[in-house]
Amino acid sequence: MVLGWTLLTPVLVVMAALVVWPFATAIWIAFTDKAIGYQGAWVGLANFAEVISSPRFLRSLRNSLTFTVASVLVKLVLGMAMALVLHQTFRGRNLVRAFFLIPWVLPAFVGYMIWRWLYDPLQGLLNYALLDLGVTRYPLEFLSNPSTAMPSVIVAHVWRSFPFYGLAFLAGLQNIPAEQYEAAAVDGANAWHRFRYITLPGLRHVILVVVMLSTIWTFNAFEPVYLLTGGGPADATMVYTLLAYEMGIVNMRLGQAAAVPVLILPVLGMFIVALSGLMNRGDE
Amino acid sequence: MSRGAGLPSVIVVLVLGLFVALPLYNMVITAFKADREIYDDFSYFPRQPSLVQFQRVIVNERLFVNIRNSFVVAATSTAATIAMSALAAFAVVRLRFRGSAWVARLILFKYLLPTSLLYIPLFIVVNNLGLANTLQSLIFTYLSFSIPFATWLLMGYFRGIPADLEEQAMIDGCSRVGAMVRVLLPIAAPGVVAAAIFTFTASWNEFLLALVFINRVDLQTVPVKLAGMIVGDQYVWGMIMAGALLSSVPVVVLYFLAQRFVVSGLAAGAVRA
Repeated sequence: MVLGWTLLTPVLVVMAALVVWPFATAIWIAFTDKAIGYQGAWVGLANFAEVISSPRFLRSLRNSLTFTVASVLVKLVLGMAMALVLHQTFRGRNLVRAFFLIPWVLPAFVGYMIWRWLYDPLQGLLNYALLDLGVTRYPLEFLSNPSTAMPSVIVAHVWRSFPFYGLAFLAGLQNIPAEQYEAAAVDGANAWHRFRYITLPGLRHVILVVVMLSTIWTFNAFEPVYLLTGGGPADATMVYTLLAYEMGIVNMRLGQAAAVPVLILPVLGMFIVALSGLMNRGDE
Repeated sequence: MSRGAGLPSVIVVLVLGLFVALPLYNMVITAFKADREIYDDFSYFPRQPSLVQFQRVIVNERLFVNIRNSFVVAATSTAATIAMSALAAFAVVRLRFRGSAWVARLILFKYLLPTSLLYIPLFIVVNNLGLANTLQSLIFTYLSFSIPFATWLLMGYFRGIPADLEEQAMIDGCSRVGAMVRVLLPIAAPGVVAAAIFTFTASWNEFLLALVFINRVDLQTVPVKLAGMIVGDQYVWGMIMAGALLSSVPVVVLYFLAQRFVVSGLAAGAVRA
């Protein structure tokens, strides 16, 4: 007991100093007009009132939700496709698997810089290819056109993180006993039935955990939008994390900046409670 | 399902493969082109492969200064993280006592908390401690995400190792901690390696805190340095792609060297089904 607490002390001290205390402080700051170098005075709910009534916040919340839901759905489909093909045996499978993992292994910032350059309206490879293939007659402004900016950011993000889904699903597939498929084949089940009644139920838990973790990470992501569009054009891709950064660092209004994620916390909290329930059940 | 891959599978591999390959290919060809072939006279393949972009990013932009910064930050915080996390994970998994479940919950809580919330108080602390514009500020604050992550992974890994051997060692006169160091850690080496690689990679890749805490170019880590070059002068993409390639090498090499450990470590910890 004493030994246990002794071994835990370093981690507990760090967690208290870098997680618990900052978390409490962030909530307190959201109720003040704190700025850097200025103590800040209590302003009650003023920051929250101002944030909620600002069209930018509502826009950023909607964008965060769009970005998250669309990304997670596409990652789910591509990750499942990746896992299903890599679960089969064919020559060069390990090579293909290693190759598919590269986008996820690369640093995230590298991935988003690559895509920003790929999308470049003047010299980007994508535009040269689309023009040469005759798909379009004019270069497309993927990231600076308000109607294509968000889809373009989503595609880049999916590229970067669908391999994680694929890897997790592949590990899950390996836990499904082969006899189940053999029995189904004897009963004359077709590929769709095998997928629907054996693969999906067998992967249920992995899918739930991956989707929930990834939903939270995607919702909290900062780099894709910061590096690809900076939130533009005209806030078309402004997500809540970037708004919190802008309010705090660019406008130096820390109280308002803190109010943005604090308002989001209840939503995240529900996710987290559901997730820890699922993960604990998996442990038993 | 060990019958050979059918036509639909081949199509899926090709389409996904093209999607994965195109951006990577574009990075590599751009890094090996001179500016003329990037901006004036586009080609799908470098006609006159050139190392000039690497030379510019290393000599003019002094990227190795930033790579060294990233390395110092990632290596130091990884070493500190693994030492503290291994002790904590051992305590939680092996010395079941009141509070250990609570610790696990706290770790999960942080794991999911947005940096966009924590960056504000951490920024204030860093300023108050006079650590603004130092690498120490990053080494210190990176523990906020690396410790929960590494502890979580190691807990999963230690749990999968039977306690008999340690108990045997203790009967033979080892202390509890001695048994951990001499018996558990060697067996758990793959998990420790996996946790170290994940921690190193996460620190190497971290963006928001590095962006907020440091504004001196010679102290920036690689991601912030390269991101800063985007808004700089016009003809930067050759250099950025060369820099992106250079800064990917350490993490990609680490990952593929230790892929075996990483996959088993990940299976045991993060996505345990």
